[in-house]
Amino acid sequence: MSEYIVEMRHVTKRFPGIVANDDVSLGIKKGEIFALLGENGAGKSTLMSILFGMYEPDEGEVYVRGKKVEHFSPNHATAMNIGMVHQHFKLVSNYTVTENIILGMEPQKRLGGFLPVVDIKNTNQKIADLSKKFRLEVEPTKKIEDLNVSMQQRVEILKMLYREAEILIFDEPTAVLTPQEIEFLLDIIREMRRNGKTIILITHKLEEIKQVADRCAILNRGKVVGICDVAETSTKKMAELMVGREVSFTQEKSPFRPGEVKLTVDHLVVKNADGFPVVNDVSFSVRGGEIFAIAGVAGNGQVEIADAVAGLTKVSSGTITLGGKEITDAAVRARNRQGLAYIPEDRQSWGLILDFTLSENLLLRRYDQEPYCVKGVLHREKFDEKSRQLIEQFDIRSGQGEKTVVRSMSGGNQQKAIVAREIDQDAPCIIFVQPTRGLDIGAIENIHRQILEERAKGKAILLVSLELDEIMSLADTIGVIYNGQLLKIAPADTMSTNEVGQYMMGVKE
Amino acid sequence: MSDIIVNGMSFSLPLFIIAVGGIYSERSGVTNLALEGFLGAGAFFGAVFTALTAGMFAATSQLPMYLSMVVAMAGGALYAVIHAVLCIKFKANQVISGVVVNILAMALTDFLTSQINAGVLGQSSDKFVLNVSTRLTFQPLASLPVIGGFFTNVYPFEFIIIAVAVVAWYAMYKTRFGMRLRACGDNPYAVDAAGCNVARIQFIAVMVSGALSGLGGMCFAYSVFGNFSTSIYTGYGYLAIAAMIFGNWKIPATLGACLLFGFARAAGYSLIQYLGLPGAYSDLIMILPYVLTLLLLMFFSKNNRAPRALGEIYDKGKR
Amino acid sequence: MKQNRKGNSLSRAFVALMGSEKRQSITIPLFAICLSLIAGAVLMMILGKDPIIGYKSLLQGCGLLMKKNYAGGKGLLTDFMSYLDIWTPMIFAALAVAVAYKAGLFNIGVSGQMLIGGFIASITVGYSDLPAVIAKPLVIVICMVIGALAGSFIGLLKYKFNINEVVSAIMLNYIFQYIISFFILTFFVNPITRQSNPVGENARLTLQNVQIAGMKTVIPLGFVLAIIAVVVMHYFINHTRIGFELKAVGANKKAATYAGVNANKNIMLAMAISGALAGLAGATYYLGYLSSIQPKVLASTGFDSIAVCLLGNSNPIGIVASSFLVTIISKGSMYMNSSVGLPQEIASLITGLMLLFAACGVYIRARPKRTKDRLDQQDRLEAAERKDSASEEGKEDDR
Repeated sequence: MSEYIVEMRHVTKRFPGIVANDDVSLGIKKGEIFALLGENGAGKSTLMSILFGMYEPDEGEVYVRGKKVEHFSPNHATAMNIGMVHQHFKLVSNYTVTENIILGMEPQKRLGGFLPVVDIKNTNQKIADLSKKFRLEVEPTKKIEDLNVSMQQRVEILKMLYREAEILIFDEPTAVLTPQEIEFLLDIIREMRRNGKTIILITHKLEEIKQVADRCAILNRGKVVGICDVAETSTKKMAELMVGREVSFTQEKSPFRPGEVKLTVDHLVVKNADGFPVVNDVSFSVRGGEIFAIAGVAGNGQVEIADAVAGLTKVSSGTITLGGKEITDAAVRARNRQGLAYIPEDRQSWGLILDFTLSENLLLRRYDQEPYCVKGVLHREKFDEKSRQLIEQFDIRSGQGEKTVVRSMSGGNQQKAIVAREIDQDAPCIIFVQPTRGLDIGAIENIHRQILEERAKGKAILLVSLELDEIMSLADTIGVIYNGQLLKIAPADTMSTNEVGQYMMGVKE
Repeated sequence: MSDIIVNGMSFSLPLFIIAVGGIYSERSGVTNLALEGFLGAGAFFGAVFTALTAGMFAATSQLPMYLSMVVAMAGGALYAVIHAVLCIKFKANQVISGVVVNILAMALTDFLTSQINAGVLGQSSDKFVLNVSTRLTFQPLASLPVIGGFFTNVYPFEFIIIAVAVVAWYAMYKTRFGMRLRACGDNPYAVDAAGCNVARIQFIAVMVSGALSGLGGMCFAYSVFGNFSTSIYTGYGYLAIAAMIFGNWKIPATLGACLLFGFARAAGYSLIQYLGLPGAYSDLIMILPYVLTLLLLMFFSKNNRAPRALGEIYDKGKR
Repeated sequence: MKQNRKGNSLSRAFVALMGSEKRQSITIPLFAICLSLIAGAVLMMILGKDPIIGYKSLLQGCGLLMKKNYAGGKGLLTDFMSYLDIWTPMIFAALAVAVAYKAGLFNIGVSGQMLIGGFIASITVGYSDLPAVIAKPLVIVICMVIGALAGSFIGLLKYKFNINEVVSAIMLNYIFQYIISFFILTFFVNPITRQSNPVGENARLTLQNVQIAGMKTVIPLGFVLAIIAVVVMHYFINHTRIGFELKAVGANKKAATYAGVNANKNIMLAMAISGALAGLAGATYYLGYLSSIQPKVLASTGFDSIAVCLLGNSNPIGIVASSFLVTIISKGSMYMNSSVGLPQEIASLITGLMLLFAACGVYIRARPKRTKDRLDQQDRLEAAERKDSASEEGKEDDR
């Protein structure tokens, strides 16, 4: 028997087009907090999903407590006392905490000696005790819909503890939490270690690792690039390993020559459905020829800023000005006509109509204008003519040219189609939200080149990205968002990656 | 007064058990517009059973009626498999599937009724005549003022329905299966994560829905129609859906809605008789439940909550 | 491995037949139609009849094939014209379902909208002495307006109160059905037929007892209107800006909003158009094919139109084809019953089965793609294996 409770040997997992995990070997000791560090898409979640049985590795072996894992399924993982808190909680909203926790393994009692009933009452007590033991402060009789995100996460933790999980995997647990809640969570994690649990923490936040983790494996593009003792390794060293010494794509960037202000956002507040301000008093402006990039951890309000500017989300207070005219309450189409192009984050549910043809999608912003539409009648041949030109110009590949149904196209080409449509409008202001999400390297470079070309043409560009790499290589000005507020706005060349990262974690004020 | 109670109860309860069937399906996340088809198909199986076994029992025996209800439940469950397969296995649009199942039930039972009549029983008829159900009066309770109606001319099936409804309520709110079923209607992914088979739970729920609708349909066949023919498809399934929505997908509240519909209907009929109005006025009574449901939806839609994952096509691969 | 191969060639044939996404809009309905016609044929054989004769009699009953003999003053034309007469409302009703469906809405209230339109037109124009040239167009207009109002009310409930259009449409169906039944029985009843009093010939959209070439026949004026409606709707859906917006809302509400389309406005509009078409179906049904309204009965046309729309892939041209077929089955069944002795109910059974198979369409649509993906994967792996072994062989040669 080895010293490791979990050991992965030469694990490789491929998905169509990418190798998510490439010959990964690592060992996790019993009773430690082990962190998996890496950027988005580095393969951390995939690796842990294999451990939790959601995927089967293509090559390599996994050992738990010295025994080789033969069957990969969440049920088998649970039987091996492995538990996982996913990024998206899996909770029944109209059930109480207790009901959620016991779902699937409900304790029964016999009413009158023969009628089986689910025993909620006694379980409530058991769960209250468990919550106390790990200092989770969860009330078992509360309904999930009445709890905030942090509480819901603790319910997920309780779910694992109730199932007597000994190895607990946390997938980016702090992405949706406030700083105070993060502190609270890290305390809980320490408490669990004190109780002899083994914890695996998936994250890309160095600060957290420094705070709680014992050891840390760093992944880059599916490969383990280092396993280190956290106490003996500097944050800087870890950051270097995470980003990779060689920055893979540096683009030829023309010198920064800002023009006049094109887009101004002033004291913007956006509230979510519960009335909570997800964007809180944000002000910035973007000049022609400038790439203004908003950096930040997912869910800190950056997408809401972009949606508010594009008119897809209601603004609670503050103003948005485009090219000198206020557009705070303007309709989506009016903003577009006034010179705002928008590449949305979720290309399949917002950016495209998947069951429409490529030609129709390419004209989605202009179908009602001449010459495509004259007196309410569409001119399909003009659609196709324009589409063929865009397909050629932007190198959009598809099975049947402009007649292809977009659903059947690859993600990269779908994104190219959106970019083509938006750039072709020649709007003075363009918003890019996560323009390279889920794309392969070739497609990423292509999109980056186009963003820089638009900058060279004097466009004002607002870029929202979760990839620090992308921001560092493209931005002229960086605004770092944390918890709905822009903590820092500064020229890109005055900030190092580490500094931006620290603002992103809300560390530096 | 007594008449209103007698008629109200004998209409409300079959409606109620059909609505409970609807609740089972919808609380598990499968939209069910197919109640009408389920109740018709179930009643058809029950009626065929009585027609085919008519010679085996004494003419006054009540046994065939009870057996036919068992057969109707089995038949309803069997027919519900079509909806379950379409919705769960084939991932078809659940609304369309419901409508299809209704239309098919009508066509199928219509065809088979005349064929069985002609081919097996050697008569030309588009209906199966059922024998008359006894009605029970409990003295001295029946002589009590006002509430005496609850003990007068009671159909035996009313007790069966109450018993089945209690079991259904117990299964849904007190057992493991019920807990998982209701969880499926809110977040099937949570149920899957808990290691349960969502498709299996939903499949069973739809079949239970068919069984309960079949029972209700058979009771209607005995009480309202006295026979089985396609006249059984007169919208009681959709009325049950209205009751279910009115009752906010909860069993006790749905019973309230059904009693309201049933008593309003009975009271309306009595009133019309009392005032000596022509029969056409009863049609105005008939619209009451539908108008009530629409108004409720319009003004209380905030409080009225359908199961969160209702009608969503559950795809295990997705998050 | 051999077994697997055999399975593969079957799968490959399946993919080749059903795989092309372009063709699927035609192959899937054809698949459903063929299956149900075969099922119908099997039923006929079980009942001891020749299915070919059975299906032939359906065509004969619709005036599409010569019958052996005709009663005096009747002929092929008589049957065909009365076939057109009942085909007409079906086209309108199916178009109504289709327009709503394009916008992502399911209008199950077509029957109710037909009824309310037909009823109001009957009691206003139908019982009046207006000259035919005014009465007939007025009937059409009234039915369209009433239908559109009923339809847009459903749309209003959907976007103002977020009430599912299926639920509200069903509720409204019953409300219309019973209220109208009350009014008919109280004020407009014909004591002999127990139906509403027949409307005057001046208001009727089908001309009765016309003599053509020595044969007595009807002339359904509404049919011309139906064909015009098909052309207009086809043009509207495929070639106009509003049609494009409607489809965009139906296909992806979020993306439509992103493109600047007002989704709520389009929900109202789609339901209004759908209702207006349903009203036209009502006009040609209650004041054309029929002349009176039977209380407490919703026309089955409204529900059969769902089958027609599904089979026709909610495409106006497809609907002409599918309604043609479905109407043959329902209309011809009467003659099939009298001439061949097959039960009339077999007709609705065949239609019901068509609907059932068409509803499986989503699954059938996804199936070839999945099979194709599996086969492609297999091919790639095999190709890779071959390449590997080939290169290994090559290495050995080098040595």
